[in-house]
Amino acid sequence: MSVLARSVGNAFRNKVRTAAVVAVLAVAIGLALAMLVANQAVGAKVQELNASVGTVLTVNPAGGQGFEGGGEPLTANQAATAAAVPNVSAVVGTSSLRLRNATEAAAQTAAGGQGGPGGQGGPGGQGGPGGQAAATLTTSLTAAVDAGTLGNRNQASGTTGTTQPVRSLPITATGVGAEVDTAGKALNITEGTGLGDYSAESTNALLGTTLAAKNNLAIGSTFTINDQTYTVAGLFDAGTTFGNNAAYLTLPTAQALAGVPGELSSMIVTVDSLENVDTAKTALQAALGTDAADVTQGQNLETAVSSLGSVKNISFIAFIAALGTAGLIILLIMVMLVRERRREIGVLKAIGAPNRTIGLQFVLEALVLAALGSAAGAIIASFASGGIASALISTNTTSTTTAATTGRGAAMAGAAGGAGMPGGGAGFPGGQGGPFGGASQLLTSVTASASPGVIAGGIAAVFGVAIIGALVPALLTARIRPIEVLRGE
Amino acid sequence: MIEVKNLVRTFNSGDRTIKPVNDVSFELAQGTLASIVGKSGSGKSTLLSLLGALDKPTSGDVVVNGVSLAKMPDRKLTEYRRRDIGFVFQQFNLIPNLSAVDNVMLPMEFAGLRRAARLQRARELLEQVQLDPEKHGRRINRLSGGEQQRVAIARALANEPKLILADEPTGNLDEQTGDHIIELLSSLRREHNTTILVVTHDRALANKTDRRFRLQQGKLTEEPVRAKAVAGAPA
Ligand SMILES: Nc1ncnc2c1ncn2[C@@H]1O[C@H](COP(=O)(O)OP(=O)(O)O)[C@@H](O)[C@H]1O
Ligand SMILES: [Mg+2]
Repeated sequence: MSVLARSVGNAFRNKVRTAAVVAVLAVAIGLALAMLVANQAVGAKVQELNASVGTVLTVNPAGGQGFEGGGEPLTANQAATAAAVPNVSAVVGTSSLRLRNATEAAAQTAAGGQGGPGGQGGPGGQGGPGGQAAATLTTSLTAAVDAGTLGNRNQASGTTGTTQPVRSLPITATGVGAEVDTAGKALNITEGTGLGDYSAESTNALLGTTLAAKNNLAIGSTFTINDQTYTVAGLFDAGTTFGNNAAYLTLPTAQALAGVPGELSSMIVTVDSLENVDTAKTALQAALGTDAADVTQGQNLETAVSSLGSVKNISFIAFIAALGTAGLIILLIMVMLVRERRREIGVLKAIGAPNRTIGLQFVLEALVLAALGSAAGAIIASFASGGIASALISTNTTSTTTAATTGRGAAMAGAAGGAGMPGGGAGFPGGQGGPFGGASQLLTSVTASASPGVIAGGIAAVFGVAIIGALVPALLTARIRPIEVLRGE
Repeated sequence: MIEVKNLVRTFNSGDRTIKPVNDVSFELAQGTLASIVGKSGSGKSTLLSLLGALDKPTSGDVVVNGVSLAKMPDRKLTEYRRRDIGFVFQQFNLIPNLSAVDNVMLPMEFAGLRRAARLQRARELLEQVQLDPEKHGRRINRLSGGEQQRVAIARALANEPKLILADEPTGNLDEQTGDHIIELLSSLRREHNTTILVVTHDRALANKTDRRFRLQQGKLTEEPVRAKAVAGAPA
């Protein structure tokens, strides 16, 4: 019989109580581990978001920001100036078009233009501000997002609202100088091919998956913009409802359609590394002049990152709190056991047990309880992590609604009525992917990252607090005098 | 050789002070079998706890083979209890969830003896106190009072102590078992020259000892021991 064997034996001395203590510990430890897993997952997500879009700057015409309308459009010369700024690795010009379904537009003109799609669309209102920045054209396409289904953000195509007039949102068509979306991210082409040379006019176009599905178009199908016929060369998935209600053309095609050759609605500037973003942003702004251009960093991303950041903080605090609770449970139960076995400790001392042997015996007993609690807690955590993370994120999404609404409202304004879409700060459909797409992707990564490594790290922390929690009562045993053995005789 | 010098232990209970041990002095040569008798509450257990370094005296000293307990640091006192003393408690004080053998092995574990050696010696000791070998592995709380007393004595002998302090070792036993315990203690003294101090109510036991002390109101006096020929006869 060794100290360890004695400790294990003592841990099971009162089986009912041991079971109860282990159950309570398991809940605390399970919570701690789940919080740690959530924390790690969110942290990884934040890093991923920062890394993916963090090096992209957007240049809009001065005054195009907000709803007051754009100033002078950007030009190819300015694109060349931007490309010459140090640390800038790529400049992609875009030319934005707002497409409206030809039939619907005709019907509305007939109805006097009242209560148009923009009417309900949000702050943008009808024919929203910033009108110059994008040209409005007619198309044979029908939007994949109905204004009426906006609230139901996960629904790609509106199957509801059939009884009320369907108010379709305009479709975003963007001419791009490279195979990137309006946020500067490479397009995820799921079917077909890209457009090849993005600096030449082309009758090929890329459609978002849901937009294509809504219009029953496949690779090789055709549609029209302003009576010109375009062929679907490829389908892309932007990962968000807004992002997929869009079409991409080559830059010169869009410029020609808008009748403004050489003019750019915005430029997407990629900086070579994350560290250089700030300097490049300042240099770029100086090179272009504040009266001519606004340089911004994806603001929706910042919102997404900061809301995820607060989830990260909350989960970390909860991890520490749950860990502390586990330590406290161990401390209290061990203090109770020491009091209960006062006389027995006196016996051990009376027959010559050194203080450290007795202390060690109690610490080991606490570790046995911690080990049992960790085993049960790890099981709880593996089931609870996903739920806890999603609960955290959905509460957080609600609590940051104010922030998100600003972005969403602006996007709606841009999309529904506001012509200042590309100029509007939130006008990038990709940016919408932040809060929502981020959350849903986060959930998949949470399940994926409940890794043995993180769990092992968490359990190591549990043992750390268990030792600290057990140390206090173990030290208390040193104060018990051997004469306790005679108490009650 | 144990020298007890002007030992005093006082307790404050409420407004009055009790002196169960009040200026006690005596000497015991190595290998002596001595008994202490006295009424219940006369301070016998208190005196024993001072000799066994379970408690510290209010004043006075116990000198064991020339070493003063009063001057020993706590760590040395622990070592003294482990190596030099074998305590047999009035209420056995065994660890209830351990087996008989494990209880006897405990003091040897604290002394750093290897497991195999501990086990062998523990079994030998349990045989010496005549505990049925079947019951060596049995948990303490499933042994009778007499069996527990034997395990307690075996545990006291584990580290071959120089001094055995036994507090009413036959108190809970029937006459026959009590007689056996007395035989066992006497043989120990013969074989190992162990000093044994027994607190007892048992006249038969008291009369078989070399010396007999009486504790009365904190004062210790020595009494003549009756002739061994009449041991066990009514006094
Ligand atoms: N820790 C203590 N605090 C107060 N009084 C005590 C304490 N220990 C013993 N006593 C008192 O000292 C007296 C002697 O006790 P004890 O030595 O156990 O007697 P005995 O063993 O002879 O029956 C009793 O009156 C008892 O109540
Ligand atoms: Mg007593």
